[in-house]
Amino acid sequence: MAAVVKSERTAARSAPLSETTVLGWLRKNLFSSWINALLTIVSIYIIYAAVKGFYVWGVADAVWVAKDRRECFDISIDGACWAGVIQWMNNFIYGRYPRGELWRVNLGALMLVLWMAPLWVPRVKDKILIGMSTVFLYPFLAGYFFAGGEKGIFMQVMVTLGIVFLVGNTLNVIIGVSSGRGLREVMIQKLGKQDASDESQRNTILAIFVGALVVVFVLQMWWTFEAVSWTKWGGMFLTLVISGIGIAAALPLGIFLALGRRSKLPVIRVLCTAFIEIFRSVPLITVLFMATTMFPLFMPEGVPLNKLTQVIIAVCLFSGCYMAETVRAGLQAIPNGQYEAAHTIGLGYWGTMGLIVMPQALKHMIPNIVGSFIGLLKDTTLVSIIGLFDVLGMLRSVSQDIPWRGLHKEPLLFGAMLFFIVCFAMSKYSRHLEVKLSAGDNR
Amino acid sequence: MAVTDSDKASAHVKPKERFDFFHDERVRSVFYQLLTACTVGWLAWYLITNTAHNLEIRGMNTGFGFLTATAGFDTDFKLIEYEPGIGTYGRIFLIGCLNTLLVSSFAIVASTFLGFFVGVLRLSNNWLVARLALAFVEIIRNTPLLLQIIFWYVGVFALLPRVKNSVDLSGGAEVLFINNRGLYMAWPVPGDLFWMTTTAFVATVVGVFLLRRWAHKRQDETGQQFPIFSASVALLILVPGAVYLVTGSPLEWDLPTLQGFNFRGGFSLPPAFLALLVSLTIYHAAHLAESVRAGILSVNKGQTEAALAIGLKPGRAMALIIIPQAMRAIVPPLISLWMNCVKNSSLAIAIGYSDIVALFMQTALNQAGYAVEMVGMTMAFYMFISLSISGLLNIYNKRVQLVER
Repeated sequence: MAAVVKSERTAARSAPLSETTVLGWLRKNLFSSWINALLTIVSIYIIYAAVKGFYVWGVADAVWVAKDRRECFDISIDGACWAGVIQWMNNFIYGRYPRGELWRVNLGALMLVLWMAPLWVPRVKDKILIGMSTVFLYPFLAGYFFAGGEKGIFMQVMVTLGIVFLVGNTLNVIIGVSSGRGLREVMIQKLGKQDASDESQRNTILAIFVGALVVVFVLQMWWTFEAVSWTKWGGMFLTLVISGIGIAAALPLGIFLALGRRSKLPVIRVLCTAFIEIFRSVPLITVLFMATTMFPLFMPEGVPLNKLTQVIIAVCLFSGCYMAETVRAGLQAIPNGQYEAAHTIGLGYWGTMGLIVMPQALKHMIPNIVGSFIGLLKDTTLVSIIGLFDVLGMLRSVSQDIPWRGLHKEPLLFGAMLFFIVCFAMSKYSRHLEVKLSAGDNR
Repeated sequence: MAVTDSDKASAHVKPKERFDFFHDERVRSVFYQLLTACTVGWLAWYLITNTAHNLEIRGMNTGFGFLTATAGFDTDFKLIEYEPGIGTYGRIFLIGCLNTLLVSSFAIVASTFLGFFVGVLRLSNNWLVARLALAFVEIIRNTPLLLQIIFWYVGVFALLPRVKNSVDLSGGAEVLFINNRGLYMAWPVPGDLFWMTTTAFVATVVGVFLLRRWAHKRQDETGQQFPIFSASVALLILVPGAVYLVTGSPLEWDLPTLQGFNFRGGFSLPPAFLALLVSLTIYHAAHLAESVRAGILSVNKGQTEAALAIGLKPGRAMALIIIPQAMRAIVPPLISLWMNCVKNSSLAIAIGYSDIVALFMQTALNQAGYAVEMVGMTMAFYMFISLSISGLLNIYNKRVQLVER
C-alpha cells in the first residue's frame, strides 16, 4: 500500500487579518461584538463632545489678550478668558514676591537643578554625598537666597558650606562627564601628588577644602540680600518650598520612625507606633489647624513662630509619618537572611541597618518616594485654606482682583493642567524607575 | 573512667557568663528605653507647662465646660434640631460629626460602585473604552483633590440657574429640583400604620435569608438549582408592597414648593454638599479603579481557564471564581480608601460645607476659643473613625486568611 504523502509543500497561509491590516485591528479591538461596537460608538461620541466642547470654549472662542474681564466679554461672550490667566502668570509662579528680586528665586531653582542633575548622570561619582548635601545644605543656601536679610553666624557658615559644595559639585560633574574621574583624583594629579601617601593626599584635599571655605566665608560677608518677608512668598514657588522641605525632612524622620516601629524595645516601639498612627488617622487639614492654633501655645513666652514655619513643621511631621510606612514596607521586603548574614560578619544594629538593610530597602523604595512626593505636592494645596497664598491660593484670588472679578474657571483649569503635567510626568518617571530598578531582581 | 565522667559533667555545666555591665544587651535595652521615655516625657512636660503658662497669660479658658454652653451662631445645614442661642456647643459638635459622616458615607458608596465600574472598563478588550477609562483615571489622580472640589463648586454648582428658574430633574413630576441654592427633593412622612410595612420588610429580609440557606442546602444534596435571585427580588418587592397597600398607603410625601424666594418643604442639600459629594466620589473612584484592575489582574489566568473548562459561562466564572479571589487583593486598598474618603471630606471647609472641621474646629473655635479641647476632640473623632474602619479591615483579613492554604 502506497503511503499517502503530499508531493509538494503546502503553501504558507497569510497572517490573520487582525494582525496585519488596520481594518483587522479595528475589528478585533473595537467591533468584536455588537456590544463592543456600541461601546465604541458611545466612546467616540464622548471623546468628540469633550474635545469639541473644550476646543470651542477654550481655543476657538477664547480671548487671549484683554485688559479686563469686561473686555473679554465684549470680544466673546461664551469663550474662555485666558487673558486673565496670562496677566496673572507671574503671580501664579512667584506669588507677591518683589518683582525686582525674582532672579533670586530663579537662581535658587537653577541651583537645585545644578545640585541634583548629577544624580542622573551615570559617570559621576560620590552620588550619596550629593544626595546628602541636597537634603542638608541646599535648603539653607536656597533659604537665604529666598528670605535674604542679615545673616546670623549659623546662616553664614551654612551659606559658605553650601556655596563651596555647589562649586565643588559642579566641577565634579564637569570633570566626571568629560573624563570619568572624580574631582579629587584630578586635583591630586594637578598638584603632582598622585605618588604621595594616602595621608598626605587627604591632607591636601582637606587644605584645599578649608582654604575654599575661608575664601568664600570672607567673600560672603560682603554681600547681603534685601530681606523678603515670608508673607510675600507665594504661588508655585511657595508650594514647591513647602513640599520640598516636607519631603526632604520626611525621609530621615520616616526612616527613624520606621526603625522605631520595628524595634525590639517595647517603649520605643509603642511610642513610634502611636506617633505614626495618630498622624495617619487624622486629615492633614486638622494637623494644619493644630499647627496654627496650638503651636503658638507650645512655644515658650517671647518666642514667636510665624505661620509659614508652623505649616512647614506640620507638613514635615505629617509626611514623615506617611514616609515611615513606606520605609517600613521597604524594610519588610528585605529577607531575613540579610540580617542574619550581617550579624554573622559581626555588624551591630546600626551597622546592619546602615550598611546592609537600608541601602537595599531604599533602592526598592525610590518609586514609592516619588509617589509620596506627588501626593505631598497635591496635598500642599491645603495650605491655601489656612491663609497662605500657595499656587491654589493665587489661582483663587484672581476672581477677587477687580479687573478680573468672577473669573473662576479659567485659572482653576490652568492650575489643574499645571499639576497634571508635573504629577503625570513624575508618576510616569516613577513607574519607569520601578521597572528599571527591579530589572536586576527578575533575572 | 574518671576522665569520661568529668568530661560529661563539663559538657553539662554552662560556661560561667561574664556579666559586663556596659556591653550587656539587656542593660542597654533598658537604658535606651529609659532614655527615650525620659526624653519624650520631658518634651511632653515642657510643652504642657508652656501651654498652661500661655493659656494663663492670654486669659484663655480651659476645660470641657463649653460643651454645655449655648452657641450663638447658626449653620446652614444640619440633620438634627438646632437653634442659635439655644443649642449648645456639644450639639454643634454632633451636627459636625453627622455632616461629615453623611457626606463621606454617600461618597464611599458612590465611589465604590463607580470605582469598580471604571476598574472593569480599564480591562475592557475594547481598546477605545480602556483608553478612555485610563485617561479619566490619570486626569483625576494627577490633580489635587482640593482643586477639583473648588472647581465643582465654583465652576459647576454655583453656575446652576437661580431659584426662579429651577430645573425639575424629575421631568415635570415636581419632586426633585436643582438650582444654585442646592437640591430640593420630596421627603416621605410615615403615617400611623407605616410601621407595619417596615415590619413586613424586615420579616421578608429574614425570610429571604432563610430561603437562600434552604436553596443552598438543596443544591448541595440534590444538585437542583433554585432561581434564588429573582425569587428574592420578587419577595422583597411584593410582600412589603402588599402590606403597604392593604394598610391604606400610610405614607405622605412632603413636596418642595416654591414660596417667595425659596423652596419650602421637602429635604434639601446645599450646593457645597453636592460639589463635595461629586468630587469625593470621582476622586476616590479613580483611585479605586486602579486597585480593582490590579486585583483582577492578580488572579491567575489558569483560574479563568479552569472555570471555563468545567463548563461555567463567562459571567458565572467571573462571579464565582475570579471576583471572590480578586477581592482578597482589592479589599485592603478599598478599606484604606474609605478611610481616606472620610479624612478627605474635611476639605469641605474650602467651600463652606459645615462638616466637623469647618463647624467645630474653625467657627466654634473662633467663637469660643478652647483651642486645645476643640482640636483634640476633632482629632479624636477622626481617630475613632479610622480605628473603627481599620478594625473592620483586620477582621476581614483574618477571615480571608482562613480561606488561604
